[in-house]
Amino acid sequence: MIQSVLDLQHVTKRFGATAAVDNATFEVARGEIVALLGPSGCGKTTTLRMIAGFEQPDEGRIFISGTDVARKAPYERNVGLVFQDYALFPHMSVAQNIAFGMKNRGVPRKEIGARIATVLEQVRLPGIEARRPAELSGGQQQRVALARALVTRPDIMLLDEPLSNLDAKLRLQLRHEIRAILSTFHCTSIIVTHDQEEAMGLADRIVLMNKGRIEQIDTPVGLYQRPQTLFAADFIGHANWIPGRLARRAADAGVVETKVGGIAVAPGAMADGPVTLCIRPERLALMAQDAPADTRLAAVVERLDPVGADLRIWSRLRDGTLVQSLEKNVGRDLPAPGADVTLGFRIADCIVLPAEGTAP
Amino acid sequence: MKRLADAVFETVYWSLVTLFIAFSVIPVVVAVVLSFDARSYVGPFPPTQFSLRWYDRFLADSYYHDGLVTSLLLATGATAIATVIGALAAIGLHHARFKGKGLIQAALLSPLVIPNVVLGFGVLVFASRLGILDGMTRLLMGHVLITFPYVMRTTAASLVGIRASYHEAALSLGAGPWGALWQVTLPLARTGIIAGAVFGFVTSFDDVGVSLFLTDAFTFTLPVAILAQMRANLDLTIAALSVMFIVATVLIIVLLDRLAGLDAITGRGVYGR
Repeated sequence: MIQSVLDLQHVTKRFGATAAVDNATFEVARGEIVALLGPSGCGKTTTLRMIAGFEQPDEGRIFISGTDVARKAPYERNVGLVFQDYALFPHMSVAQNIAFGMKNRGVPRKEIGARIATVLEQVRLPGIEARRPAELSGGQQQRVALARALVTRPDIMLLDEPLSNLDAKLRLQLRHEIRAILSTFHCTSIIVTHDQEEAMGLADRIVLMNKGRIEQIDTPVGLYQRPQTLFAADFIGHANWIPGRLARRAADAGVVETKVGGIAVAPGAMADGPVTLCIRPERLALMAQDAPADTRLAAVVERLDPVGADLRIWSRLRDGTLVQSLEKNVGRDLPAPGADVTLGFRIADCIVLPAEGTAP
Repeated sequence: MKRLADAVFETVYWSLVTLFIAFSVIPVVVAVVLSFDARSYVGPFPPTQFSLRWYDRFLADSYYHDGLVTSLLLATGATAIATVIGALAAIGLHHARFKGKGLIQAALLSPLVIPNVVLGFGVLVFASRLGILDGMTRLLMGHVLITFPYVMRTTAASLVGIRASYHEAALSLGAGPWGALWQVTLPLARTGIIAGAVFGFVTSFDDVGVSLFLTDAFTFTLPVAILAQMRANLDLTIAALSVMFIVATVLIIVLLDRLAGLDAITGRGVYGR
C-alpha cells in the first residue's frame, strides 16, 4: 500500500450558511504533486488554508504523515507554504528569510549557513544571500519563497497560485523550473490554481473542485479524456455538447436519440434517460461523405478561426447547434463558409455524461 | 475665457499659499526677534536694541528649570508607557475579529477628541478617589491617556499596510504567535510606532489642558510654568523660551532623519518599496 502523506477525510468548512468546502475527501501519496483546480470560490484556497492550519474544519479530519492535525496551529505542523504574493519578509535579507524557518524550528545555528547556501544552489540562485526581496525579480522572489519553505524539509509543500503574479512567458518557464525543484526535493506538494494548463503541466493528479465539492480526482490526461460530469468536461478544454436520451441496447452499447438523429454510444454505467454527449473538437473530424466513421453528422460551415498551428472550424448542425472541430493547419483544402460538410467521430470519442441537473 | 479663469484661479491659489505661509511664519519670526530685545519691557515691534538678557533670565530662573525637568521626565515616561500600550492595543485590535471591536477602538481613541480640560478634570477626580495625590503620578496618568491614542493610531495605520501573508508565512515557518509578532509584525510596524511615539512625546511636552489640573505645588510642567509666569509678570523670557523650543524641535527632526529617515516616519513604510 502506498503511504499517504496527506489524508483529508470528509472535511467540511462553513462560512455562515454556505459551505466553502463540502465533504472533501482525498489522499496524497509521498512525492506526489497534486493540483487543487477550480474556478474562484470553488473552495480550493479554503482547503489549502485548512491543510496549512489557518482555518479549522467544522467537520472531518486532516492527517499529515499519520497524525490528525485538524486542531493544530500552523506552527505545530510541518508544512511548507509558498504564498501567492510570496510573502518574503521585506525587512530581512534573502539569507535571513531562508534562516527564519530553521531558527524557529530549532535547526542548530552552525548548520544554518551551509543549508542556506545549498538550498540557493538548488533553486539556481547561488550567492544572493545578502540581497533584499525588493531587489529581486518576480521569478527570483518566487524561487526564494520556494527555497525558504523547502529548507525546513516539510512533510508537505503547499503552493497557492504560484504563477499567477508572473507574465505569461515567465510562467511557462517557471512551471518547468518549479516541477524540477519539487522533484529534486522529492517533496509531496499541493498546488492551488485556477489555471487548467498550470494544473496539467505541474501535477501528477488533479483534484477538480466546484462550489465546495470535489467533482473528480484523476490524472491530467484522465480528467480530459474521461470527465465524469458536465462541469469537469466543460472546465477542462473545449467541448461540443449534444443533449439527448439514452436507450441501452446491450451491456455496453446504446443509442442516444438526439435532435440530429440517433448516435451510437458506449454508455458505461450510465442509466437510461436524459444525457449530454460531449465530443472534444479534435475528435470531431471533417470527412469525405463516404469515409468510415461510427457516427456522421451533416453540417454547414459557418466560420474558420486560425489558432496557431490549428484551424478551429465552426459549423452548424441541422438543428442549429453550433459545433467546433479542430483541424491541423497543414495546407490541405478546407471548406469555405457556407459549404455542406460531414462531421464524423468514433464511439470511443463520444463521452456520455449525466444531463444537467441530474446526479451522476 | 478659459485663460482668464486659469489666471484668476492661479492668483487666488498663490495668494492663499502666501497668506498661509505668512500666517504660520510671522509669529515665529516675531518671537525670535523679540527674544533678543534689549528693552526691559514688552515694547512695540521691532526692537531698537538687541541683547541676550532674556536667555540669561531663563537659564537663571529655577522655576522654569524645574518645569523643564518635569516636562522632560514626564514626556519620556508617558511616551514609553504609551508606546507599549498603544502598539499592543493596535496589534490586538488588528487581529481581533469580534463584535464591538469598533466600539473598543473608538473608546481607546476617544482622548483624541475629548477636550483636554475634561480629561484633566476626569483624571483629577479619578486619582483622588484612588487616593493618588502625588503630582507626578497624576500627571503620568493623564499624559499616558493623551499620548497613547497617537501611538495606537499610527501603529494601526502601518499595520494595515502589512500584508496578512507575512504573519501567516511566519506561522507556517514555525514561529508561534509571539515569535511572529516579535520577528515580523513589530519590525514592519516600526515606522508607525516611532512616528506615534514622536507625536506622543510632542503632545505630552506641549500639553497645558490636562496638566493644569494635575500639577501640584512642587510638580509642574514647563507649559504650566510659562502660563503661571505670564499671568504674574509678562516678560520676554517666554520669547527666549520659544526660540529654544524651536531649536530643540529642529534638532529632534534632524536626529530622527539621521536615525530612521524622515520619509519612513511621515508615511512611506519599509514595505512595498
